[in-house]
Amino acid sequence: MAGHMKELTKGIFKENPTFIIMLGMCPTLGVTTQVFNAFGMGASVLFVLLGSNMIISALRKVIPDAIRIPAYIVVIASFVTIVEMVLHAYVPAVYDALGVYLPLIVVNCIILGRAEAFANKNTVLDSALDAIGMGIGFTLALSLIAAIREVIGAGTITLLNLSETQRVVITLPGISESPVRVMTLAAGALLLMGYLKAFFNWNTGRKAKGGESA
Amino acid sequence: MTRYLKTAFILFAICAVAAILLAVINEVTAPRIALNVQQTAEETLAAVSGGYEQGEAREGDGGTVTSVTPLLDGGSIVGYILELSTSGYGGEITMATSYLTDGSVLSSKVMSDSETPGLGKKAEESWYMEMFSGLGADSPLPETKDDLVDPSLVSGATVTFNGVSSAIREGSEYVKTLGGM
Repeated sequence: MAGHMKELTKGIFKENPTFIIMLGMCPTLGVTTQVFNAFGMGASVLFVLLGSNMIISALRKVIPDAIRIPAYIVVIASFVTIVEMVLHAYVPAVYDALGVYLPLIVVNCIILGRAEAFANKNTVLDSALDAIGMGIGFTLALSLIAAIREVIGAGTITLLNLSETQRVVITLPGISESPVRVMTLAAGALLLMGYLKAFFNWNTGRKAKGGESA
Repeated sequence: MTRYLKTAFILFAICAVAAILLAVINEVTAPRIALNVQQTAEETLAAVSGGYEQGEAREGDGGTVTSVTPLLDGGSIVGYILELSTSGYGGEITMATSYLTDGSVLSSKVMSDSETPGLGKKAEESWYMEMFSGLGADSPLPETKDDLVDPSLVSGATVTFNGVSSAIREGSEYVKTLGGM
Protein backbone atom coordinates (compact mmCIF):
# COMPACT_ATOMS: atom_id res chain seq x y z
CA MET A 1 0.00 0.00 0.00
CA ALA A 2 2.93 2.30 0.73
CA GLY A 3 3.86 2.12 -2.95
CA HIS A 4 0.36 3.11 -3.94
CA MET A 5 0.34 6.03 -1.55
CA LYS A 6 3.46 7.37 -3.23
CA GLU A 7 1.52 7.62 -6.51
CA LEU A 8 -1.04 9.75 -4.70
CA THR A 9 1.28 12.11 -2.84
CA LYS A 10 3.94 12.67 -5.50
CA GLY A 11 1.65 14.92 -7.53
CA ILE A 12 0.99 17.19 -4.58
CA PHE A 13 4.56 18.22 -3.76
CA LYS A 14 7.45 16.29 -5.30
CA GLU A 15 6.10 16.26 -8.85
CA ASN A 16 3.60 19.09 -8.57
CA PRO A 17 2.31 19.56 -12.14
CA THR A 18 2.40 23.34 -11.99
CA PHE A 19 5.51 24.21 -10.00
CA ILE A 20 7.82 21.29 -10.75
CA ILE A 21 6.75 19.76 -14.08
CA MET A 22 5.51 23.16 -15.35
CA LEU A 23 2.58 21.78 -17.30
CA GLY A 24 -0.82 23.35 -17.89
CA MET A 25 0.45 26.92 -17.76
CA CYS A 26 -2.30 28.35 -19.97
CA PRO A 27 -5.23 27.75 -17.58
CA THR A 28 -2.93 28.36 -14.62
CA LEU A 29 -2.23 31.89 -15.72
CA GLY A 30 -5.62 32.44 -17.32
CA VAL A 31 -8.17 31.69 -14.63
CA THR A 32 -6.30 32.48 -11.43
CA THR A 33 -7.78 35.93 -11.00
CA GLN A 34 -10.24 34.73 -8.36
CA VAL A 35 -9.81 31.96 -5.82
CA PHE A 36 -13.21 30.52 -6.69
CA ASN A 37 -12.23 30.18 -10.37
CA ALA A 38 -9.18 28.21 -9.26
CA PHE A 39 -11.40 25.80 -7.32
CA GLY A 40 -13.67 25.36 -10.34
CA MET A 41 -10.79 24.82 -12.74
CA GLY A 42 -9.00 22.48 -10.33
CA ALA A 43 -12.09 20.36 -9.77
CA SER A 44 -12.82 20.15 -13.50
CA VAL A 45 -9.26 19.10 -14.30
CA LEU A 46 -9.28 16.60 -11.44
CA PHE A 47 -12.45 14.98 -12.78
CA VAL A 48 -11.21 14.83 -16.37
CA LEU A 49 -7.80 13.55 -15.30
CA LEU A 50 -9.31 10.85 -13.11
CA GLY A 51 -11.69 9.69 -15.83
CA SER A 52 -9.19 9.75 -18.66
CA ASN A 53 -6.38 8.15 -16.63
CA MET A 54 -8.61 5.27 -15.58
CA ILE A 55 -10.08 4.63 -19.05
CA ILE A 56 -6.71 4.90 -20.76
CA SER A 57 -5.12 2.62 -18.21
CA ALA A 58 -7.92 0.07 -18.61
CA LEU A 59 -7.57 0.19 -22.40
CA ARG A 60 -3.76 0.29 -22.47
CA LYS A 61 -3.50 -3.27 -23.85
CA VAL A 62 -6.29 -2.71 -26.38
CA ILE A 63 -5.15 0.55 -27.96
CA PRO A 64 -2.44 -0.03 -30.60
CA ASP A 65 0.61 2.20 -30.29
CA ALA A 66 0.07 3.80 -33.71
CA ILE A 67 -3.26 5.35 -32.81
CA ARG A 68 -2.74 6.01 -29.11
CA ILE A 69 -2.71 9.83 -29.38
CA PRO A 70 -6.04 10.09 -31.28
CA ALA A 71 -7.54 7.52 -28.93
CA TYR A 72 -6.38 9.50 -25.88
CA ILE A 73 -7.70 12.73 -27.32
CA VAL A 74 -11.12 11.17 -27.96
CA VAL A 75 -11.27 9.93 -24.36
CA ILE A 76 -10.08 13.24 -22.90
CA ALA A 77 -12.34 15.34 -25.13
CA SER A 78 -15.33 13.22 -24.14
CA PHE A 79 -14.71 13.83 -20.44
CA VAL A 80 -14.19 17.54 -21.02
CA THR A 81 -17.45 17.73 -22.96
CA ILE A 82 -19.23 15.94 -20.11
CA VAL A 83 -17.83 18.45 -17.61
CA GLU A 84 -18.85 21.31 -19.88
CA MET A 85 -22.43 20.11 -20.30
CA VAL A 86 -22.89 19.28 -16.62
CA LEU A 87 -21.49 22.63 -15.45
CA HIS A 88 -23.56 24.53 -18.01
CA ALA A 89 -26.69 22.77 -16.81
CA TYR A 90 -26.21 22.75 -13.06
CA VAL A 91 -23.62 25.38 -12.10
CA PRO A 92 -23.84 28.01 -14.87
CA ALA A 93 -21.88 30.54 -12.79
CA VAL A 94 -18.77 28.35 -12.88
CA TYR A 95 -19.33 27.64 -16.57
CA ASP A 96 -19.46 31.37 -17.29
CA ALA A 97 -16.48 32.18 -15.09
CA LEU A 98 -14.17 29.64 -16.71
CA GLY A 99 -15.29 30.59 -20.20
CA VAL A 100 -13.02 29.44 -22.98
CA TYR A 101 -10.60 27.75 -20.57
CA LEU A 102 -13.12 24.99 -19.90
CA PRO A 103 -13.10 23.44 -23.40
CA LEU A 104 -9.36 24.13 -23.50
CA ILE A 105 -8.86 21.46 -20.80
CA VAL A 106 -8.77 19.09 -23.80
CA VAL A 107 -5.34 20.40 -24.68
CA ASN A 108 -4.17 20.76 -21.08
CA CYS A 109 -0.74 19.15 -21.13
CA ILE A 110 -1.15 17.71 -17.65
CA ILE A 111 -3.89 15.38 -18.83
CA LEU A 112 -2.27 14.18 -22.04
CA GLY A 113 1.05 14.14 -20.22
CA ARG A 114 -0.22 11.83 -17.48
CA ALA A 115 -1.89 9.57 -20.06
CA GLU A 116 1.35 9.27 -22.01
CA ALA A 117 3.79 9.16 -19.09
CA PHE A 118 1.83 7.18 -16.55
CA ALA A 119 -1.60 5.74 -17.35
CA ASN A 120 -0.54 3.73 -20.40
CA LYS A 121 2.07 1.84 -18.37
CA ASN A 122 0.36 1.36 -15.01
CA THR A 123 -2.66 -0.34 -13.46
CA VAL A 124 -6.04 1.32 -13.16
CA LEU A 125 -5.65 1.77 -9.39
CA ASP A 126 -2.24 3.41 -9.65
CA SER A 127 -3.46 5.60 -12.52
CA ALA A 128 -6.46 6.71 -10.49
CA LEU A 129 -4.26 7.59 -7.52
CA ASP A 130 -1.83 9.39 -9.82
CA ALA A 131 -4.75 11.39 -11.26
CA ILE A 132 -6.11 12.32 -7.84
CA GLY A 133 -2.67 13.36 -6.62
CA MET A 134 -1.92 15.39 -9.74
CA GLY A 135 -5.41 16.91 -9.64
CA ILE A 136 -5.04 17.97 -6.02
CA GLY A 137 -1.55 19.30 -6.71
CA PHE A 138 -2.89 21.32 -9.63
CA THR A 139 -5.83 22.64 -7.59
CA LEU A 140 -3.58 23.64 -4.68
CA ALA A 141 -1.14 25.36 -7.00
CA LEU A 142 -3.94 27.25 -8.75
CA SER A 143 -5.51 28.24 -5.44
CA LEU A 144 -2.18 29.53 -4.13
CA ILE A 145 -1.55 31.61 -7.25
CA ALA A 146 -5.14 32.85 -7.29
CA ALA A 147 -5.08 33.77 -3.60
CA ILE A 148 -1.91 35.83 -3.98
CA ARG A 149 -3.13 37.49 -7.19
CA GLU A 150 -6.56 38.28 -5.83
CA VAL A 151 -5.30 39.62 -2.50
CA ILE A 152 -2.68 41.89 -4.05
CA GLY A 153 -4.58 42.70 -7.24
CA ALA A 154 -8.07 43.28 -5.88
CA GLY A 155 -7.88 43.12 -2.09
CA THR A 156 -10.49 40.38 -1.92
CA ILE A 157 -10.70 36.62 -1.52
CA THR A 158 -13.64 35.09 -3.39
CA LEU A 159 -14.44 31.73 -1.84
CA LEU A 160 -17.87 31.23 -3.38
CA ASN A 161 -19.47 32.99 -6.32
CA LEU A 162 -22.49 31.14 -7.63
CA SER A 163 -24.84 34.09 -8.09
CA GLU A 164 -25.48 37.57 -6.73
CA THR A 165 -26.97 36.07 -3.59
CA GLN A 166 -24.75 33.01 -3.13
CA ARG A 167 -21.47 34.77 -2.72
CA VAL A 168 -18.74 34.61 -0.08
CA VAL A 169 -16.14 37.32 -0.56
CA ILE A 170 -13.65 38.38 2.08
CA THR A 171 -12.71 42.01 1.51
CA LEU A 172 -9.43 43.07 3.01
CA PRO A 173 -9.45 46.67 4.25
CA GLY A 174 -6.63 48.88 3.04
CA ILE A 175 -5.50 46.92 0.00
CA SER A 176 -8.98 46.74 -1.55
CA GLU A 177 -9.05 50.54 -1.85
CA SER A 178 -5.75 50.75 -3.71
CA PRO A 179 -4.95 47.34 -5.15
CA VAL A 180 -1.93 46.63 -7.35
CA ARG A 181 -4.03 46.02 -10.43
CA VAL A 182 -1.24 44.60 -12.57
CA MET A 183 -1.43 41.41 -10.51
CA THR A 184 -4.80 40.55 -12.01
CA LEU A 185 -3.44 41.08 -15.52
CA ALA A 186 -1.40 38.58 -17.50
CA ALA A 187 1.86 40.35 -16.68
CA GLY A 188 1.23 39.95 -12.96
CA ALA A 189 0.50 36.28 -13.42
CA LEU A 190 3.82 35.71 -15.19
CA LEU A 191 5.74 37.74 -12.59
CA LEU A 192 4.19 35.80 -9.73
CA MET A 193 4.76 32.47 -11.50
CA GLY A 194 8.44 33.38 -11.84
CA TYR A 195 8.78 34.20 -8.15
CA LEU A 196 6.96 31.04 -7.08
CA LYS A 197 9.06 28.89 -9.40
CA ALA A 198 12.21 30.50 -7.96
CA PHE A 199 10.94 29.83 -4.45
CA PHE A 200 10.21 26.17 -5.19
CA ASN A 201 13.59 25.72 -6.87
CA TRP A 202 15.32 27.25 -3.86
CA ASN A 203 13.29 25.05 -1.55
CA THR A 204 14.12 21.88 -3.49
CA GLY A 205 17.78 22.83 -3.65
CA ARG A 206 17.84 23.49 0.08
CA LYS A 207 16.38 20.06 0.80
CA ALA A 208 18.87 18.36 -1.51
CA LYS A 209 21.83 20.02 0.24
CA GLY A 210 24.52 17.55 1.16
CA GLY A 211 24.02 15.67 -2.11
CA GLU A 212 25.64 17.57 -4.92
CA SER A 213 26.36 21.26 -4.63
CA ALA A 214 23.15 23.04 -3.72
CA MET B 1 -4.27 -5.39 -44.19
CA THR B 2 -5.95 -7.00 -41.18
CA ARG B 3 -3.70 -4.95 -38.92
CA TYR B 4 -5.03 -1.73 -40.47
CA LEU B 5 -8.58 -2.93 -40.24
CA LYS B 6 -8.11 -3.89 -36.60
CA THR B 7 -6.56 -0.52 -35.77
CA ALA B 8 -9.33 1.33 -37.56
CA PHE B 9 -11.94 -0.76 -35.82
CA ILE B 10 -10.51 -0.05 -32.36
CA LEU B 11 -10.47 3.68 -32.98
CA PHE B 12 -13.98 3.48 -34.40
CA ALA B 13 -15.18 1.56 -31.35
CA ILE B 14 -13.68 4.09 -28.95
CA CYS B 15 -15.27 6.96 -30.87
CA ALA B 16 -18.63 5.17 -31.03
CA VAL B 17 -18.71 4.55 -27.28
CA ALA B 18 -17.72 8.17 -26.62
CA ALA B 19 -20.42 9.44 -28.99
CA ILE B 20 -23.14 7.34 -27.38
CA LEU B 21 -22.09 8.43 -23.91
CA LEU B 22 -22.08 12.10 -24.90
CA ALA B 23 -25.45 11.76 -26.63
CA VAL B 24 -26.98 10.37 -23.44
CA ILE B 25 -25.54 13.13 -21.27
CA ASN B 26 -26.56 15.76 -23.79
CA GLU B 27 -30.10 14.40 -23.70
CA VAL B 28 -30.15 14.84 -19.92
CA THR B 29 -28.53 18.26 -19.71
CA ALA B 30 -29.88 20.00 -22.84
CA PRO B 31 -33.36 20.88 -21.47
CA ARG B 32 -31.80 22.15 -18.26
CA ILE B 33 -29.33 24.30 -20.21
CA ALA B 34 -32.12 25.71 -22.37
CA LEU B 35 -34.09 26.55 -19.23
CA ASN B 36 -31.07 28.27 -17.67
CA VAL B 37 -30.47 30.33 -20.78
CA GLN B 38 -34.10 31.39 -20.99
CA GLN B 39 -34.25 32.22 -17.29
CA THR B 40 -31.11 34.31 -17.49
CA ALA B 41 -32.50 36.15 -20.49
CA GLU B 42 -35.75 36.96 -18.68
CA GLU B 43 -33.90 38.05 -15.55
CA THR B 44 -31.61 40.26 -17.60
CA LEU B 45 -34.53 41.94 -19.37
CA ALA B 46 -36.25 42.53 -16.04
CA ALA B 47 -33.02 43.92 -14.57
CA VAL B 48 -32.53 46.51 -17.30
CA SER B 49 -36.21 47.43 -17.68
CA GLY B 50 -35.88 50.20 -15.09
CA GLY B 51 -39.19 49.20 -13.52
CA TYR B 52 -41.22 49.80 -16.70
CA GLU B 53 -43.59 47.26 -18.17
CA GLN B 54 -42.28 45.18 -21.08
CA GLY B 55 -44.15 45.10 -24.37
CA GLU B 56 -44.04 42.50 -27.11
CA ALA B 57 -40.54 41.70 -28.37
CA ARG B 58 -39.87 41.93 -32.11
CA GLU B 59 -36.96 41.47 -34.52
CA GLY B 60 -34.23 44.06 -34.66
CA ASP B 61 -32.44 45.53 -37.67
CA GLY B 62 -30.71 42.28 -38.51
CA GLY B 63 -27.30 43.73 -37.69
CA THR B 64 -26.14 44.70 -34.23
CA VAL B 65 -29.69 44.96 -32.88
CA THR B 66 -31.11 41.44 -32.66
CA SER B 67 -34.36 42.18 -30.85
CA VAL B 68 -36.42 45.14 -29.68
CA THR B 69 -38.73 45.16 -26.68
CA PRO B 70 -40.70 48.35 -26.07
CA LEU B 71 -40.89 49.67 -22.51
CA LEU B 72 -44.36 50.85 -21.57
CA ASP B 73 -45.57 53.23 -18.92
CA GLY B 74 -49.35 53.32 -18.75
CA GLY B 75 -49.72 52.18 -22.36
CA SER B 76 -47.35 54.68 -23.97
CA ILE B 77 -43.85 53.80 -25.09
CA VAL B 78 -41.16 55.44 -22.95
CA GLY B 79 -38.17 53.48 -24.20
CA TYR B 80 -36.85 50.23 -25.60
CA ILE B 81 -34.75 47.30 -24.51
CA LEU B 82 -32.44 46.23 -27.30
CA GLU B 83 -30.63 42.96 -27.44
CA LEU B 84 -27.30 43.81 -28.98
CA SER B 85 -24.76 41.50 -30.49
CA THR B 86 -21.20 42.66 -30.90
CA SER B 87 -17.74 41.17 -30.99
CA GLY B 88 -15.18 41.33 -28.23
CA TYR B 89 -11.76 39.82 -27.77
CA GLY B 90 -13.00 36.26 -27.29
CA GLY B 91 -15.84 36.23 -29.82
CA GLU B 92 -19.44 37.30 -29.70
CA ILE B 93 -20.80 39.38 -26.83
CA THR B 94 -24.55 39.65 -26.46
CA MET B 95 -26.08 42.19 -24.14
CA ALA B 96 -29.36 43.81 -23.25
CA THR B 97 -29.41 47.59 -23.13
CA SER B 98 -32.41 49.73 -22.29
CA TYR B 99 -32.81 53.25 -23.70
CA LEU B 100 -35.27 56.04 -23.23
CA THR B 101 -36.84 57.23 -26.46
CA ASP B 102 -34.37 60.17 -26.68
CA GLY B 103 -31.56 57.63 -27.10
CA SER B 104 -30.08 57.92 -23.61
CA VAL B 105 -28.94 54.72 -21.94
CA LEU B 106 -31.04 53.58 -19.00
CA SER B 107 -29.04 50.49 -18.08
CA SER B 108 -27.17 47.67 -19.70
CA LYS B 109 -26.12 44.13 -18.93
CA VAL B 110 -24.02 41.48 -20.62
CA MET B 111 -25.96 38.30 -21.38
CA SER B 112 -23.19 36.11 -22.71
CA ASP B 113 -19.54 36.48 -23.66
CA SER B 114 -16.30 34.58 -23.95
CA GLU B 115 -14.02 37.32 -22.71
CA THR B 116 -10.85 36.75 -20.71
CA PRO B 117 -11.46 36.37 -16.97
CA GLY B 118 -10.00 39.32 -15.11
CA LEU B 119 -9.84 41.51 -18.21
CA GLY B 120 -12.76 41.63 -20.63
CA LYS B 121 -14.97 39.71 -18.20
CA LYS B 122 -15.21 42.91 -16.17
CA ALA B 123 -17.89 44.01 -18.63
CA GLU B 124 -20.22 41.67 -16.74
CA GLU B 125 -19.94 43.75 -13.59
CA SER B 126 -22.46 46.47 -12.87
CA TRP B 127 -19.99 49.36 -12.51
CA TYR B 128 -18.75 48.71 -16.04
CA MET B 129 -22.12 49.37 -17.64
CA GLU B 130 -22.83 52.29 -15.30
CA MET B 131 -20.14 54.18 -17.22
CA PHE B 132 -22.68 54.45 -20.06
CA SER B 133 -25.81 55.20 -18.05
CA GLY B 134 -27.54 58.49 -18.80
CA LEU B 135 -25.39 59.19 -21.86
CA GLY B 136 -26.50 59.13 -25.49
CA ALA B 137 -28.95 62.03 -25.65
CA ASP B 138 -27.45 65.40 -24.67
CA SER B 139 -24.05 64.13 -23.59
CA PRO B 140 -22.35 61.79 -26.09
CA LEU B 141 -21.49 58.17 -25.42
CA PRO B 142 -17.75 57.42 -25.17
CA GLU B 143 -16.23 56.42 -28.51
CA THR B 144 -12.84 55.27 -27.27
CA LYS B 145 -11.63 54.54 -23.78
CA ASP B 146 -9.89 57.94 -23.74
CA ASP B 147 -13.33 59.55 -23.49
CA LEU B 148 -13.78 57.94 -20.08
CA VAL B 149 -13.11 59.70 -16.80
CA ASP B 150 -10.72 56.91 -15.84
CA PRO B 151 -9.46 54.92 -18.89
CA SER B 152 -7.41 52.66 -16.61
CA LEU B 153 -10.65 50.94 -15.59
CA VAL B 154 -10.82 49.19 -18.94
CA SER B 155 -7.10 48.96 -19.70
CA GLY B 156 -6.01 45.52 -20.78
CA ALA B 157 -9.40 44.98 -22.39
CA THR B 158 -9.65 47.71 -25.00
CA VAL B 159 -11.10 45.38 -27.61
CA THR B 160 -13.93 44.42 -25.27
CA PHE B 161 -14.59 48.05 -24.47
CA ASN B 162 -14.67 49.06 -28.14
CA GLY B 163 -17.09 46.25 -28.93
CA VAL B 164 -19.39 47.11 -26.05
CA SER B 165 -19.32 50.87 -26.55
CA SER B 166 -19.84 50.72 -30.32
CA ALA B 167 -22.86 48.43 -29.86
CA ILE B 168 -24.34 50.76 -27.25
CA ARG B 169 -23.77 53.75 -29.55
CA GLU B 170 -25.39 51.96 -32.49
CA GLY B 171 -28.31 50.99 -30.30
CA SER B 172 -28.73 54.59 -29.21
CA GLU B 173 -28.87 55.77 -32.84
CA TYR B 174 -31.33 52.99 -33.65
CA VAL B 175 -33.63 53.99 -30.79
CA LYS B 176 -33.57 57.60 -31.97
CA THR B 177 -34.91 56.49 -35.36
CA LEU B 178 -37.72 54.53 -33.68
CA GLY B 179 -39.00 57.49 -31.71
CA GLY B 180 -41.78 57.21 -29.18
CA MET B 181 -44.51 55.81 -31.42
